[in-house]
Amino acid sequence: STTTLTTPQNQVESLMHEMADEAGLDLNMELPQGQTGSVGTSVASAEQDELSSRLAKLRDQV
Amino acid sequence: MSTKTSPSKGKDNAEVIKNYHKQAFEYISKALRIDEKDTGEKEEAVQWYKRGISELEKGIAVEINAQGEQYERAKRLQDKMVNNLAMAKDRLVLLETTLASKQKNV
Repeated sequence: STTTLTTPQNQVESLMHEMADEAGLDLNMELPQGQTGSVGTSVASAEQDELSSRLAKLRDQV
Repeated sequence: MSTKTSPSKGKDNAEVIKNYHKQAFEYISKALRIDEKDTGEKEEAVQWYKRGISELEKGIAVEINAQGEQYERAKRLQDKMVNNLAMAKDRLVLLETTLASKQKNV
């Protein structure tokens, strides 16, 4: 028998929403249907935010 | 010149910026993982920061040719990269200064 290893779509979506919430983005606005390019940019923005906060933490350490 | 400025449909360079971001994110994440540990090998972190900084600079230098929403999004990403570039550079200077003074004392 075969096991299909696919992540359910709703799981992906909820993760995306989680990331967008953290980054303060409105995902519904950012994600018109079928525009994978914009998904990538949202994720990229969230990743840059992550770097910012980690760099800030180091900076504030004395 | 007109051939250069007219953005080709569907293939805007937001993708290019995103790729630089990806590379920079990877390098700076590595630097941070080392840097965040007190016992981390700071010389190594310095090297990763430098690589990340150079990728950020390349991404920031890209002139966005996308339109409308796509432009806004790419611009926002670039703005964040500018911010992180400054922060990573500050961190790099600090680390290098610390390392230099350590070498003097030894």
